[in-house]
Amino acid sequence: MLTLDVQLTQGSFTLTVSARVEVRVTALVGPSGAGKTTLLEAIAGLRRPARGEIRVGNRVLFSSRDRIDLPPHQRHVGYVPQDVALFPHMNVRRNLLYGTSRNTSMGGGLPLERIAKMLEIEPLIERGVKDLSGGERQRVALARALLSAPDVLLLDEPLAAVDVPLRRRIVPYLRRVRDELGVPLVYVSHDLEEVGMLAEWVVELDCGTVVRSAATSLQA
Amino acid sequence: MYLKLLQIALNRLTLLWLGSGVLGLCGVWLGTVPRLAAADEVHVAAAVSLSEALQEVAAAFEGQHGVHVTLNLAASNVLARQITAGAKTDVFISADAIQMDVVRQSGQARRVVDLLHNRLVVLVAADSPVSLAGANDLRRPEIVRIAIGDPAGVPAGAYAKQYLQNETVWDVLQPKIVTTASVRAALASLDAGNVEAAIVYQTDARIARRARVAYPSPSEPLVIYPAALLSSAPGAAQFFDYLRSAEAGKIFERHGFGLPVTRGESPVRAKGRP
Amino acid sequence: MNAELLQISLFTVATALAATALMLPPGIALAWTLARRPFPGRALVETVISLPLVVPPVATGLLLLYLFGRRGPLGAALASTGVDVIFTWRAVVIAMAIMGFPLVVRTARAAFEQVDARFEQVAATLGARPLRVFFSISLPLALRGVIAGTVLGFARALGEFGATIMIAGNIPGRTRTLATAIYSYTETGRDAQAAALAAVSIALAFVAVAVSNRLAGPAR
Repeated sequence: MLTLDVQLTQGSFTLTVSARVEVRVTALVGPSGAGKTTLLEAIAGLRRPARGEIRVGNRVLFSSRDRIDLPPHQRHVGYVPQDVALFPHMNVRRNLLYGTSRNTSMGGGLPLERIAKMLEIEPLIERGVKDLSGGERQRVALARALLSAPDVLLLDEPLAAVDVPLRRRIVPYLRRVRDELGVPLVYVSHDLEEVGMLAEWVVELDCGTVVRSAATSLQA
Repeated sequence: MYLKLLQIALNRLTLLWLGSGVLGLCGVWLGTVPRLAAADEVHVAAAVSLSEALQEVAAAFEGQHGVHVTLNLAASNVLARQITAGAKTDVFISADAIQMDVVRQSGQARRVVDLLHNRLVVLVAADSPVSLAGANDLRRPEIVRIAIGDPAGVPAGAYAKQYLQNETVWDVLQPKIVTTASVRAALASLDAGNVEAAIVYQTDARIARRARVAYPSPSEPLVIYPAALLSSAPGAAQFFDYLRSAEAGKIFERHGFGLPVTRGESPVRAKGRP
Repeated sequence: MNAELLQISLFTVATALAATALMLPPGIALAWTLARRPFPGRALVETVISLPLVVPPVATGLLLLYLFGRRGPLGAALASTGVDVIFTWRAVVIAMAIMGFPLVVRTARAAFEQVDARFEQVAATLGARPLRVFFSISLPLALRGVIAGTVLGFARALGEFGATIMIAGNIPGRTRTLATAIYSYTETGRDAQAAALAAVSIALAFVAVAVSNRLAGPAR
């Protein structure tokens, strides 16, 4: 499903990743500064690798050989950064619907009600984003990304901003996304235990290179 | 540690502040003191139309008497305001009596004399295809804009308005009139091609670069330049008298100015008062 | 005197508004480009834009006189289409716009730089094309600063003198503004009228700033 072959340099840091992922949920782990966020940004089109190829399914998002570099708005990638980045000047509803105009032109996607129900954010829809709790913000951001009908979901430390007791409560939502929606998911995590609960494949990065790429016990 | 950083920052800032203040004041003092200290200097304020002639007269005077003459040349109304506001001036030559009266009313005029005559002239661009015979022809569509000094204060503008009123075309020409801050500015706008005609002094026509006289100078109104002695400094009276000498007269005539037949002095008190 | 005062005030406000309208689209576009799109020669562009702030206004006016005079490069072209600039209200608007432009650009640029690029990136991944990102994310989030810049530009236009008097002259009833009127009234001894116009100028500036504070909204 996801083919990554990128080489990207930023200052004195070089990221070299070559991986093929065929599963629904992939966890990207590794110490701080290993390049996990950089890799997600490269997939989303927010950073340009020096060379390589990025493919999602049959679509080529980036190819240095064929001189292809799709801008972010054409990549159909759902990206939730670490700081969530809900648009502060819009309420929850407008945030959620932001990516859906493309949906309607593509004819079909996931309806707001279904996603809102799945992630239990229905009561929040008319509220402003300022007063949401950490967990609520994560779920709204996740819903927003899902509603744009992405080919792949990229989550940067979705559970990091949430305190531990709440983390266990978000994992089921991610499971629902995995099970009910069929959208492949790549997420960055520090917590190996939660990785074990969710991911079917793990890619471990250290200092910009892949040190391990393997199935977890969860893979069916 | 912050305290130390603060001290360093304050030191640099204080240095910058004091430095700019000291340098600035020194510069101003150096730039002006030598001028102010020169005891034998005559400060002359004169209508800008006198520029070339006065420069020659002043140079001749300096050569003979060794006294430096500084010329402040601008529209007469500007100079009159400066003088009444206190600008140090020894001799004032205005392009009309109205601005001279402004100075007289401030009580600074010691002696006043009618010094020179001039005439108005209508100029058009040197390559202008239009031929005008008189003021009435200014109504022609080829003449889109006419530059004159601001009639509200600039003597050349007041004379021009008077002329056009006498020819009963002032009202109909209003939309075409462009007012400038001085007579030379009107000339400049014609030279630059931004207007089709300008009403300036006959003496200005000589220095125009891309203009020609449209038709012979009207004899009215007569432009009169009063000159006033404003201070008791010795050099000032010397220069004032030199202005009325035969030698200076020849220089003025060469530049196109007329000399009044009688150059007697007129009463110092402002007109209208008993 | 009152009719004259009214005419001059209305003319000044009208031309300043026209100048503001003229400045805004290129000013905002340039501000955003300088904030978000590094390009070769950017430093040069920044310097040139700032020149009217520092160069003596009459010097700028002299340059404009050369450009827009009947024999100048721009003026000749315009004159052939029947449009005159020098000594007309158009010169007033142009002088005001040139002098206010740097203020609009600098202030708006700072406002755009303050917007977290993350929001723009996420919007792009949600499928929004660059123009939509600008109008739905960048501009609303930078609005306070952009408005502040606009008002600064307007206020500068209201008070413009040096360049105006060079290319528009000071023609009563046609190109005389509050500033140039105060100047010539003082030169011709009409002190009371000059004082009245000065009072109007101060009042207008007061209103402009108060309105801008209102428009920009209460501090968050």
